[in-house]
Amino acid sequence: MQESLLEILCCPLDKHELELEDADRDDADEIIGGDLVCTECGERYPIEDGIPNLLPPDMREETPA
Amino acid sequence: MGLEDQRDVETDVYQPAEDSHLLADAACDDLADADEGSLVLEVGTGSGYVAGRIDDETPARVIAADLNPHAVRQAREAGLEAVRADLVAPFADGALDAVVFNPPYLPTDPDNEWDDWMEQALSGGEDGRAVIDPFLAEVGRVLAPDGSVYLLVSSLTGVDDVVEEAGEHGFSAAAVADESFPFETLTVLELFR
Repeated sequence: MQESLLEILCCPLDKHELELEDADRDDADEIIGGDLVCTECGERYPIEDGIPNLLPPDMREETPA
Repeated sequence: MGLEDQRDVETDVYQPAEDSHLLADAACDDLADADEGSLVLEVGTGSGYVAGRIDDETPARVIAADLNPHAVRQAREAGLEAVRADLVAPFADGALDAVVFNPPYLPTDPDNEWDDWMEQALSGGEDGRAVIDPFLAEVGRVLAPDGSVYLLVSSLTGVDDVVEEAGEHGFSAAAVADESFPFETLTVLELFR
């Protein structure tokens, strides 16, 4: 994900801002790994293979298939 | 493409169909003169087809979101900015100039539902609006004041019911495209305030 995406993302639970932690970047400066952390509730949302997973924790494990 | 990925594509991710083409055409027409840097979100992007068309054909920056991990992976592989999200939940207030959505809309008998990603992509619950209604309740929060929603609706779901529900959340509606098929008519609604 591009770092500028952070400006339009928020915590899905309480809608507060997210902070980037432990970012892994590729050669094009795109963020491919790390965590987005809610500045209010502290919930962590992982970035995997460049895709931030912003599902609330209780939905993250629900995999129908 | 490996066999496992092939399976992903065929069984786990909704592939573009007539509804996708109609929605992409309508959204691209309307957004052709969008400002450079305006932000468009596609909810439930599936294969990323509609988001990809908007990315190619308009000046807008497009974000492709889906609940389905196979879908966001496919959208990213297609070169799109992808986010795994439940509808518009993780997007900031007033951040988006347009939101595009081809929702799961087929009315489904609860006894006949099959519990996999493709069912989630198609089934709108008993009245066909199990996903549309919560979407309409929340999309106003993330939309810029002069932003628009482009929503695909089928006659099987009931266009009037969706227009009425959108009205409950402060939206006016205009039909910007429609196309008839043997078993349904598809309409693209533009919702605005």
